[in-house]
Amino acid sequence: MLRFIGKRLWHGGLTLAALVTLTFFVMRLAPGGPFSRNRKISPEVQANIEAAFHLDEPVWQQFGRFVWGVLRWDLGPSTKHRDYSVNDLIASGLPYSLTIGFWAIVIAALVGVALGLAGALKRNSATDYLAGTVGVVGIAIPIFVIGPLFQAYFSLRLGWLPVGGITEGWRSLILPVIVLALPNIAYISRITRTSMIETLRENHVRTARAKGVGWRRVLTSHVLKGALLPVIAYLGPATAAIITGSILIETIFAVPGIGRHFVDAALNRDYPLVMGITLLYGGILILFNIGTDVVRAVLDPRIRNER
Amino acid sequence: MIGQGKAVRHWLAGAAMVLALATTPALADDTLDRGVGSEWSSLDPQVNFDGSAGFILADAYEGLVTFDPAGNIVPGQAESWEASADGKTYTFHLREGLKWSNGDPLVAQDFVNGVLRTLNPDTISEKGYYFYSTIKIKGAEALANGETKDPSVLGVTAPDDRTVVIEMETPAPHILDLMGYFQMAPLHSPSFNEGGAAVFIDPAKVVSNGAYIIKEVVPQSHVLLERNPNYWDAANVKIPFVKHHVTEDVGTELKRYQAGEIDITYDIPLAELERLTAETPDEVWVFPSTYLIYYSFNLSNPDLQNIDLRRALSLALDRDVLENKIVKGGAIPKLNYAGGFDPNYKGPDIAEASMSQAEREALAQELYAKAGYGPDNPLKLTISTTVAEINIRRAQGAALMWKKVLGAEVEVNSMERKAWLDLFYTDDWTIFADNLIGDFAGPETFLAYMRPSADAGYGWESPAYEAAMDEASTFPDKEGRYAGLAKAEKILLDDYIFAPMSIEPNRHLVKPNVKGFGPSAAGYHNSQWMTLE
Repeated sequence: MLRFIGKRLWHGGLTLAALVTLTFFVMRLAPGGPFSRNRKISPEVQANIEAAFHLDEPVWQQFGRFVWGVLRWDLGPSTKHRDYSVNDLIASGLPYSLTIGFWAIVIAALVGVALGLAGALKRNSATDYLAGTVGVVGIAIPIFVIGPLFQAYFSLRLGWLPVGGITEGWRSLILPVIVLALPNIAYISRITRTSMIETLRENHVRTARAKGVGWRRVLTSHVLKGALLPVIAYLGPATAAIITGSILIETIFAVPGIGRHFVDAALNRDYPLVMGITLLYGGILILFNIGTDVVRAVLDPRIRNER
Repeated sequence: MIGQGKAVRHWLAGAAMVLALATTPALADDTLDRGVGSEWSSLDPQVNFDGSAGFILADAYEGLVTFDPAGNIVPGQAESWEASADGKTYTFHLREGLKWSNGDPLVAQDFVNGVLRTLNPDTISEKGYYFYSTIKIKGAEALANGETKDPSVLGVTAPDDRTVVIEMETPAPHILDLMGYFQMAPLHSPSFNEGGAAVFIDPAKVVSNGAYIIKEVVPQSHVLLERNPNYWDAANVKIPFVKHHVTEDVGTELKRYQAGEIDITYDIPLAELERLTAETPDEVWVFPSTYLIYYSFNLSNPDLQNIDLRRALSLALDRDVLENKIVKGGAIPKLNYAGGFDPNYKGPDIAEASMSQAEREALAQELYAKAGYGPDNPLKLTISTTVAEINIRRAQGAALMWKKVLGAEVEVNSMERKAWLDLFYTDDWTIFADNLIGDFAGPETFLAYMRPSADAGYGWESPAYEAAMDEASTFPDKEGRYAGLAKAEKILLDDYIFAPMSIEPNRHLVKPNVKGFGPSAAGYHNSQWMTLE
């Protein structure tokens, strides 16, 4: 098992290094720089600014500087947000993204699995159709439509919750969490349902039933374990994506998370911030993928024994 | 730069804040909530160069002068000032007993130190040009370029604690426009020397001199300000707290306004402007800003080297229809360049102004044919603009008009903003959907930018324009100067190196219970003038 984890970590590290290297150089290919302005400033002042951020150095040297910074846990200064370093910005935004993402994924997993199970066990029942409808709606209607609709109804019409911002504590979290959870509830319930139905038809389940094992026992120790494998495979990367912040959710609900920085940094050509967030996002994604593999390996001996 | 330990502490502080927020009570009525658009880039008064932070810093810092709700210059930290006869030296007299927010006495040298810090190359500020280009303060350019580090060369001095003297190389009556907080915030040296630029975002350490002090800073979310008891006019500051919210998404901002979470918005969604103006006219504020829109012609393009063609293109645009029926963003259409910002500037008389649109179009067609174009030989053009909806609409409208009136084949090439900015200097464009934000609400900031010697990248040569601008800049008074500037503007407009389009307005929604908001072109809306009723 340790060898299995070690191998995955090694591969993950290589992937991350490749991702970061590629991002670094592709960023530089895009036209425009962090200090492009429509008002031309004097060459001396421009040169001074570029030198301060080491933009006057050859690109390979800047890359070396970046790698050296990463090794020292220092992602450098942001070129747009002059008061903050990239470390500062990530440190200030991540807790909000994590909080919203954590609750969204918990809700999505609980509700999604429950709906999927209910649908699979009582196929073509009212519950199944309800779950199916939630699934279609959750997947088909994008966040940027659902978000404003929820704001219009729950905040403006009913006045129950704030439209956006983070100034009203837990009440500020409800709408973003629900809207972020919805599409994931939909996916998870669909995956659970399909996987449950397939597993119920497997030979080992039939054998267990034939041997006279009780239905409840069959479900808990023979069906669920296998049926949840695809759900876990989905949850790993989905959790990584959700907790690192959703640009749409954070923009629509004015949440000061890390996701908004991701797009803004690229648009502003804030190279250090783009690199910092890429590194963070890539790292979390890879770690969750490894975590998923490990959990699946624990549940399924076939996976951990594969070469 | 920040170490790991500090980052972790920030993380914990942030996490704690998320939890603590759960117990924070709802917004009280003693707080003015304002939207500032996208996130501010810096709260460092000598570094910040953007409008979002400008709103916040306007409340936290005060310059020698300040601006009333209508944008007029009124005494700030200085109670009076006078200019020398030649207009090159201005002497400002500070109010008696001025204090910083921590109670320290505020002295004239603090203003000198603010300018010195702005110019110091180590500050990495882009604002130095205000002092060596917009106005030409002695020694400023040498300090900004790093030619000297000797502060005594600077033409900003403090002969005593209550007097600031500014000496310029050429007279500049618009100096007062640059004496507000944005360019001329003083520097509290003790706190800055101890904590560096980090003090400006640290509520525990920041020392300011405006009507409000910074109490809380949450990046991407908000800045909370509280009334500064040590401000000289604290008795007349009515609203105890001001919260400046980042409102990046204009649709969300509108909903937050409608829900009562925001009292003054940063902008109004274009699609909603007409409806809101009809339904709640008292809450909609649309008034000129210092943001000028014009379409530049690439003078190195063989087609566009023909002045008749350039004039034809400018004449063919029906600016009223374009702004009021197509773009519908409240922009003010215009045929001149530098007019419309300062009502005292009359500008030159131009032939187009007295023509009807039908006459303009007839002349455009005539000039287009004279330049050698027609149905068999149509002009092919590309308008390069950004991906912002308002800019694409304007470009598509202009393309349509050039096609309809002249028969030209026009493409709209919209690109991401940074790419668009760089495109200008690559020269790989024909028509550039250009804009310029003035340093102040007056004609000279725009006209000086167009000087060939200013090297703004238009590739335009005009000794006559340079001479006219040189002549205008010898006048120490606005009246004489404006007459000279109008002469220069005539030369500029007659060369048709661009088609003037419009002035982009400021668009705000203001709650009916907020009083004291006014139409300031330069965008100064200090909360100290406002009341909540």
